[in-house]
Amino acid sequence: MPIAHIMASGMTGLRAGGDLVARMQLSKSMKIKEAKEYVAKKVGVDVFDLSDEYAMRDVREELGIGVITSVPGAPKGIAAKMNIEKVLDTKINCCDTFRNQLKQ
Amino acid sequence: MDKEAIFKELSDAMVSCKADMIMTATTKAVEAGVSSVDIIDGLAAGMTEVGDQFERGKLFLPHVMMAANGMQKAVDTLDMGEAGATVKKVIINGTVEGDVHDIGKSIVSTMLQSAGFEVHDLGRDVPNAKFIEAIKEYNADMVGLSALMTTTLNGQKEIIELLKANGMRSDIKVMVGGAPATNAWAEKIGADCYAENATEAVDKAKGLLL
Amino acid sequence: MATEYFLRMGDGKRVAMTREQIKEDAIAGAGHAVDYGLIPDLSADEIDKIVEICTMPGKSVSVELGMEIPVSHDIGTIRLDGDQGNSGVGIPSSRLVGMMMHERAFGADTMELGHIDYSFKPVKPIVSQECQTMEVAQQNMIVPLFYGAMPNMGLYYTPDGPYENPGDLLKAFKIEEAFASMEHSAEHLTRDIVWIMQKLYASGADGVNLDTTGAAGDADAFGTLNAVKALREEFPDMYIEVGSAGESWIGMHGMLEFEGTVLAGLWPHQQVKLVEKAGASIFGPAVNTNTSKTFPWNLARSITFTKECCKVSKIPIHVDMGMGVGGIPMLETPPIDAVTRASKAVVEMAGVDGI
Repeated sequence: MPIAHIMASGMTGLRAGGDLVARMQLSKSMKIKEAKEYVAKKVGVDVFDLSDEYAMRDVREELGIGVITSVPGAPKGIAAKMNIEKVLDTKINCCDTFRNQLKQ
Repeated sequence: MDKEAIFKELSDAMVSCKADMIMTATTKAVEAGVSSVDIIDGLAAGMTEVGDQFERGKLFLPHVMMAANGMQKAVDTLDMGEAGATVKKVIINGTVEGDVHDIGKSIVSTMLQSAGFEVHDLGRDVPNAKFIEAIKEYNADMVGLSALMTTTLNGQKEIIELLKANGMRSDIKVMVGGAPATNAWAEKIGADCYAENATEAVDKAKGLLL
Repeated sequence: MATEYFLRMGDGKRVAMTREQIKEDAIAGAGHAVDYGLIPDLSADEIDKIVEICTMPGKSVSVELGMEIPVSHDIGTIRLDGDQGNSGVGIPSSRLVGMMMHERAFGADTMELGHIDYSFKPVKPIVSQECQTMEVAQQNMIVPLFYGAMPNMGLYYTPDGPYENPGDLLKAFKIEEAFASMEHSAEHLTRDIVWIMQKLYASGADGVNLDTTGAAGDADAFGTLNAVKALREEFPDMYIEVGSAGESWIGMHGMLEFEGTVLAGLWPHQQVKLVEKAGASIFGPAVNTNTSKTFPWNLARSITFTKECCKVSKIPIHVDMGMGVGGIPMLETPPIDAVTRASKAVVEMAGVDGI
């Protein structure tokens, strides 16, 4: 059933920019319009392109914020999230935890 | 004061959920010569309104209990004359075996009790055999079966089969409820009715038993 | 003879309806919400829009381009490898595999780690397992990842918990004792949620999803809102999602207040104001499906409640749209025709920020 919702209404996560918009809703309680405008500005696309797989594919790869296919060398997991922190100018809890675990 | 006004006063007293107001209205009705049966009808109409207000979130479960308690105390003071003491219809209620949900089922028990039924709530995760024992022990008129998960839903069907195997099916009404239960499911397993919520459970029980 | 369209009953059964019947039911469903919630009705145009969506010829429908929203998940991963008795498909896969499948194969915008006995109280003895799993998951995942569970305050009542079942106490007219039982249970619930999330947040969780808040009545909501408040004070950056159990919080107690407002009997547009005050990031209103009514009836009712909730809310609304919720039929395999129509309708008409 979740797939039905995603197909009908979803921004499709890493395929486009859905996770980024969700992050701004959650971190700053931004409503949908504000969250989309914020993310679009930060990643350098139009709001309309945020759900467009074609528009977002290269953007995600260039910014290192995670791509849907497992491209060797592309930042994944925590590395991608650290890049998301910089791009969206937001803090991500697990990135802080990760940094605090690094020994000098 | 005319009968209609007294009827309204009885009903309004019930909606106040205050035992002293219910008693005052009942006493006034008795003094006005209203029959005990009519007084009970007036109080019951108020109880139905209490149930409706509960569904709307205007009154809450303690109010329902206080109204029921007040009604019981008032009815106990009535002279039932030749009709004698009212024999309450008996309902066994419980959540089927393997299922530990009981909030909704407890609300149904409370509302049925408030509506004048004698309710024996067996709790949750009730073995099938215990339902049968309780039905026999209390000479029940109806059994209410609650299930909140699709895997435990089949317990409702099993109990109906058990009633048939014990030759008891024709003597008892079966009501099913719970999130995964539906009208179609009730028809499929041969239950007498399905209730969407507590208010509907009371309506269906009244319809089948009174 | 008028054209008939195949729609669904609230239990998922197919039903053929004419355009006029669809419209009548939509008006009635919206009217039910207006009558109970004391909220504005849908306009004639909005009813027409519901009819239009219901009568679209395709099996699945979708929102207009540009109107897409994030889809956040509860439970999710457990549905793949688990079987709690109502939703699992039983594919042997770890929770991490389940989460990554949602992220990478299904297009989820957020995900959630939860355990098979999806309530907060049972997390306590296994919290270390949950923390380890969260740590590993956060190393691998990119989408926002919550820790989720139900407050499920009923677990604090006997026989599972220390306090006597208030339902039994109320039936015995022990009203004061029932109140005390609920109040003590709510305190325990608050304490447990906070303790568990302190640990999970330290393990890297992005935040918490409090699923089916109010399921055990107003005291359940009371305990949960106090937990949200405490978590927000301690963790200003935590993502906190509160999902409601239903359109009305049942008044098991009737007198509990949060920030001066009685919790019992609150509808979604009222629930959200308290959730905001508590400090949550987003709210998920839930409108339960009536299995005896048709899809248009249930959908119109859901949209009426949700629209008012969105209108008054200052925080994003991710409306609950699971099986038996949000107009969707109550069936383990909710029909795609109904799910997609409900999805499209709630986004385009109610103004939600997510699902």
